[in-house]
Amino acid sequence: MQALTTSANLRARADTDGRNAPPLLEIQGLSVRLGGRIILDRLDATINGQIVGLLGPNGAGKTTLVRTLLGYFRPSSGNAFVLGHSLATAGRTVCSIIGYMPEDDAYISGMSAVRFVRMMGELSGLPPDAALERTHDALTFVGMGENRYRKVGSFSTGMKQMVKLAQALVHGPRFLLLDEPTNGLDPAARHRMLELIKDIGHEGKTGVLLSSHLLGDVEAVCDEVMILKAGRLAGRCDLASEHEAARTFVDLETLPPEPRFGSVLERLGCTVEDRGNGRFRVELPPDLNVRTLFSAAADQGLGLRRFERTRDSLQDIFMRAMEDDHGRS
Amino acid sequence: MVVRDRAWSAWEGSVTPASRRFLVLTRYALKDVFESRVFLAFYILCLIPSAAALLAIYFSHNTQFLEQFGGIDSWFAKAPDWIFLHLFGWQAMPAFLVAVIATPPLIAADIGNNALQVILARPIGRREYVLGKMVVVFLLLSPITWVPGLLTFCLQAILAGGQWTAENLRIAVAFFVGHVVWILVVTMLCLAVSAWIRLAAFSRGALLAIFIISAVAGRLVNGVTRSSIGDLLHLSKAIESVVLRFFGATPPSGLPSPANWLTLVVVVLGALWVLNLRLRAVQEIK
Repeated sequence: MQALTTSANLRARADTDGRNAPPLLEIQGLSVRLGGRIILDRLDATINGQIVGLLGPNGAGKTTLVRTLLGYFRPSSGNAFVLGHSLATAGRTVCSIIGYMPEDDAYISGMSAVRFVRMMGELSGLPPDAALERTHDALTFVGMGENRYRKVGSFSTGMKQMVKLAQALVHGPRFLLLDEPTNGLDPAARHRMLELIKDIGHEGKTGVLLSSHLLGDVEAVCDEVMILKAGRLAGRCDLASEHEAARTFVDLETLPPEPRFGSVLERLGCTVEDRGNGRFRVELPPDLNVRTLFSAAADQGLGLRRFERTRDSLQDIFMRAMEDDHGRS
Repeated sequence: MVVRDRAWSAWEGSVTPASRRFLVLTRYALKDVFESRVFLAFYILCLIPSAAALLAIYFSHNTQFLEQFGGIDSWFAKAPDWIFLHLFGWQAMPAFLVAVIATPPLIAADIGNNALQVILARPIGRREYVLGKMVVVFLLLSPITWVPGLLTFCLQAILAGGQWTAENLRIAVAFFVGHVVWILVVTMLCLAVSAWIRLAAFSRGALLAIFIISAVAGRLVNGVTRSSIGDLLHLSKAIESVVLRFFGATPPSGLPSPANWLTLVVVVLGALWVLNLRLRAVQEIK
């Protein structure tokens, strides 16, 4: 399986001798059974990206994978390594370098945000004074500076999400696990949360694994995407490269529907995906003028009833992964 | 006003020793407990029996004071024996009330809004979590039970001399061991109830109910079977019997010592079972 790597991230994790540090996350044949059901099925993956999206439909095993990395669930076979630390033999070390923001509510309602986040910092090993200082930093960073002395139980959903992020960050983790961080957020708060995640990831010292079923969130912030389906890796994609490549796609539909038009397009150097009923997604070669497509259609006695420039969106990648041989839907 | 950069940095300083990290939970919980002034006032009141015992011991050795109250035949002259016979009970009852008032939120507050999943995501395990909470109850109850008990013994030992100390050293051991056993049982019960019931008022009721129901059940079984077998269910009698045996006094239970210990062990194991069941970062589907 090809490990996708961003050069900036590799630089950040290369040691002084010039050798590469271990990957952010390496999963080797990881299986987890819960309630007699296989949730993760011999999962193999290596993650090196700075902000990695973990996508999958409901029940694909995203949250189970995150919770297994935290030691909540014991793998039935296989192992995972976080920055080279084995989950099986160094679970405590793994916990100390991970910051976790869970999907659902997780707070002590009677505590102020400062007190709650500080306690979490101290539990991770920060000395009390450092924990207090970093708590103020973390709460200010997530935009909760003004409200930090209020009790967490009195916060809105969005504010609670920010406190959850602050407690995950306070001890300066090297690997941040975010499980559906934009759950229950209004558009403005969602935008703010995604910007914060980008800031954290691109600062370079903290790798982020963003588990979500919202493709838009993942596409907005992630460099890499790992797609799970039925507990197995169904696909992966280097979004950074995809964006950099800026490939041109065209969705077109012939009138009347003509399936053989695909081979005409291939002769012009296009990569063609036949979507049935005379509909095609076409990746244009860089030097091809779109007028050529109209001419080719006219030569075949066909009209083009739909012609739409697009790019290979994460949704397409996701849908392809869902229909892929690795996990045929 | 402090101006901070909107940027984030990893922590690169030293960390606290992992072996002592459970004490963070203890420290925060103790601070929460003493935030209530009403509780603090009640806690201070709980020290009155111990303070009275210390004063009585002091005056029992003060000849000028004794002369005014009837000399060596007065109640004060015989006070030490009477005090050491009853002090344990005077301390235990208010200490139990302290536990009933203070402990219900200890675990319930963490479970209530799923905070346990972010606590246990830290390098701290479930055992350390329970240990941290146990230390809270131990530190809460010790200053009103065995610590003043031993202070009272020490005062009496100083005033009465070496012979009395040598003859009655058992009292000091009984105060310490008896209270530690009692505190352990009460602690485990309180933590189990706190883990099981989220509402503090119901938790408090449940703690009292456990003692009342076990006493009623024990007496009923004793009445029906016309034996002492019901004492196996009678939790407060089991504790009392175990403690009184440390003092060398006659226990109220008609059962042998191992039977009383069995009751306490079953209660502690039951509490551990509840804690094991409830203290999970996430509930696993079976």
